[in-house]
Amino acid sequence: VDGNGTAHHIAIDASLARELRAIVGDDAIVARASELKVYECDGWTIEKSSPDLLVMPHSTEQVSAVLRALHRRGIPFVPRGAGTGLSGGALALAPVMICTSKMNRILSIDLANRRVEVQSGVVNLHVTNAVKANSYFYPPDPSSQMACTIGGNVAENSGGPHTLKYGVTTNHVLGLEVVLPDGEVVALGGPVDERCGYDLVGAVVGSEGTCGMVTAATLRLMREPEGHRTILATFADVEGATAAVSKIIASGMIPGAIEMMDRLILNAVEAAFHVGFSPDAGAVLIVEIDGLEVGLDERAAAAIDLMRACGVTEAKVARDEAERALLWKARKRAFGAVGRLAPNYATQDGVVPRTRLPDILRVINAVSERHGLAIGNVFHAGDGNIHPIVLYDEREPGQVRHAIEAGREILTACVEMGGSLTGEHGIGVEKMGEMPLLFSPDDLIAMTELRRVFDPDERSNPRKVIPTPGACVEVISPRRQVPL
Amino acid sequence: VSAALEDATAIGAVQTIVEPQNAEEIAAIVRKCEADKISLAPLGAARTLSQIRRSPAHIGISLKRMASIIAYEPEDMTVVAQAGLTVGDLNATMATPGQRLPVDPRDPGATTLGSLIAAAHAGPLRLSEGTVRDLLIGIQFVGHGGRIIRAGGRVVKNVAGYDLMKVMTGSFGTLGIVTEATFKVRPIPENYTLAVAAFPNADDAFAAASTLHDQVPLIHLEVVSAGVSSTIGAPDRFVVLAGFAGIRSELEYQSDRIARALRPTLEMLDGDPALELYSSLRDLDFFDGITARMAVLPNELARCARESSADFVAHVGSGIAELSTRAADQGVVARWREIAHSARGHVRVISAPASIRSQIESFDRPNPGAFKLMQRLKSTFDPANIFNPGCFVGAL
Repeated sequence: VDGNGTAHHIAIDASLARELRAIVGDDAIVARASELKVYECDGWTIEKSSPDLLVMPHSTEQVSAVLRALHRRGIPFVPRGAGTGLSGGALALAPVMICTSKMNRILSIDLANRRVEVQSGVVNLHVTNAVKANSYFYPPDPSSQMACTIGGNVAENSGGPHTLKYGVTTNHVLGLEVVLPDGEVVALGGPVDERCGYDLVGAVVGSEGTCGMVTAATLRLMREPEGHRTILATFADVEGATAAVSKIIASGMIPGAIEMMDRLILNAVEAAFHVGFSPDAGAVLIVEIDGLEVGLDERAAAAIDLMRACGVTEAKVARDEAERALLWKARKRAFGAVGRLAPNYATQDGVVPRTRLPDILRVINAVSERHGLAIGNVFHAGDGNIHPIVLYDEREPGQVRHAIEAGREILTACVEMGGSLTGEHGIGVEKMGEMPLLFSPDDLIAMTELRRVFDPDERSNPRKVIPTPGACVEVISPRRQVPL
Repeated sequence: VSAALEDATAIGAVQTIVEPQNAEEIAAIVRKCEADKISLAPLGAARTLSQIRRSPAHIGISLKRMASIIAYEPEDMTVVAQAGLTVGDLNATMATPGQRLPVDPRDPGATTLGSLIAAAHAGPLRLSEGTVRDLLIGIQFVGHGGRIIRAGGRVVKNVAGYDLMKVMTGSFGTLGIVTEATFKVRPIPENYTLAVAAFPNADDAFAAASTLHDQVPLIHLEVVSAGVSSTIGAPDRFVVLAGFAGIRSELEYQSDRIARALRPTLEMLDGDPALELYSSLRDLDFFDGITARMAVLPNELARCARESSADFVAHVGSGIAELSTRAADQGVVARWREIAHSARGHVRVISAPASIRSQIESFDRPNPGAFKLMQRLKSTFDPANIFNPGCFVGAL
């Protein structure tokens, strides 16, 4: 946000509002400031900026007409799905916001070819719901999957707990319909498994809305595994738990998911959900094995044996679907439970190579002591994707600053260990300032060049992902406080 | 200059070969070539290059001196290697801890990582493991201006920055020279087993394979024509080859289901005989005539393979087939394209006899909207038009 406190300066006049209203209809345009306030931020709540105008087109043709109208006037825009993003990807740093909420139709289901074609406003979970009776599923399963849209998933290249085995969004998108910022509708990729020419679909997935508006996607479905075994393994300390993760991976086993929670998180989760975690537990792993039913007991036993060698104190397999669901509920709502422990908390999203998990945990401990703030840990351990949660109280003098510093120090350590700034939440506005830790000026120029192939004037979701050279990004509050 | 590379000049892919030792040397070459308008092409896929180029590139860049593994952590299941290393050599190293880069281009021992990426080679394993596109998590390449560009990273989950890995994959050397790559790797499956069953006609073979695909998770699944199966040492009929793996209980269960879908001529191979037959399938050298790769909707694969009147290896479930004919007739390619387009797909010519090569477009044409973006991508990433110019889709 600019120094003068406004996010964008470009005035929009009444003729534009009239033209857009004529395109999308009265029911699909919001211009009143009080109603626009709902759209002032996404899951990154630290910065806020309302658009001047919100439109909710009903079709690709309407998106195209809207973008042509904006193109003629040189006006930038912000695409928005459900607004569940965690890095400010849908923050309105442009006057017009285009929301996909009225483009929520599943266009075709083709089980013979294991494909679905959906409009970009379709909710992630609705895809799997539409095909699960036939034992198919759409693998990417972000924790927000009950609300987040496929368009948003494409923008962020979303993951979820099961990416360890099944991959992220980019591995499951075959084709995209994109409206370029000048209003032209292009079909990229297609329904077949190999590309003709450059892989432009791969370029658009994960581009955080900066290459135009995605209006439809062709997705690849997978066959549901026959069965699951979900193991809850308790350890005396996090060192044992992380060693067990390495042991399991090194054995050649690829579980569907391996998640870790430490003592601080466990206590909060136990108080909230009464899962039955041992009060002495230093850490737990949730290890989910899936595949052919006939081999699952043996594979689960093998995983438990490997964990025994790392000091597991108790390992039990969920007896039924209800127990499995309780474990996943505890894991997916861990962040909400942490709200009991401190008035404020800030969540980080960093990645380290799996073998460096013990090292990054030591760093996090040291950071916690140095700043005098408690930090809890809940990880996608199998992927090396960490989510440290820094607890603080904004009313205490200096704590906000300490929380910001703590987050930065942890991220910097991730990069120094050969990791990344973000495993699944995106750069957005949140981490733009840290991009130079990971990439050289030449790397960032090449990325900007790629973006300009689609959006030469940088009008689609401006001022995101790549820091503007010379601009100093100052984070004024700690990182977000929202559940994942 | 090795024999294989002399080959590259002999077969008309390039005029001169250079063997730089590092990315900085390549950067200097790129700057020089841009200044003097000299074309250059990476030589990892010399055979592919000789097929797609109408005239030789001025300079071929061989990465034979850039063929080291830079970092390999089995417990991270990631590997960083220079682009001149072959898939075969990489996998030989990783076999000790029981891992592999699960891609199977034809002749992995001769396929460099650079050419694997540039030509997006894939084989039977794509059914269970995906392709190089799914496994490439980090890249370094030399782009225009001699800039050494990195994207992605060394961790398996990473959404920081634009995905230049995807842009480089399948770009056939037209956007820059790939110098280093980071991949996710996977465990080698336990107890690989190969089911082989012969059928009197293609339709029966495809029907059985399709049933199997719905019932059992397989590592790979092919239907091959009689001409192909006799070449690889399988029965001289339409043959289904289904690879699977697992612990004992899983193998028994899968064998039972496979037996029901593929009877009555089923043969089960394991150990070395299974691996040998799989290798001959993967490394199959097609006929001297025209060979092409067709990508169509999976449930149209049987029809398309049948209508092509070609010999084929069809990857059931993926909708991909390699087609081959001894005929030296460019009309064949047009016919195959017509068939593929009717199933929403496309055809890429892999090789054609020299006599007709100049009359054949190697690549199908993308739709006009997508093609316009591809033109912009090419002119942005290669403003001097020196990177393997004039031979990719639409003569990019």
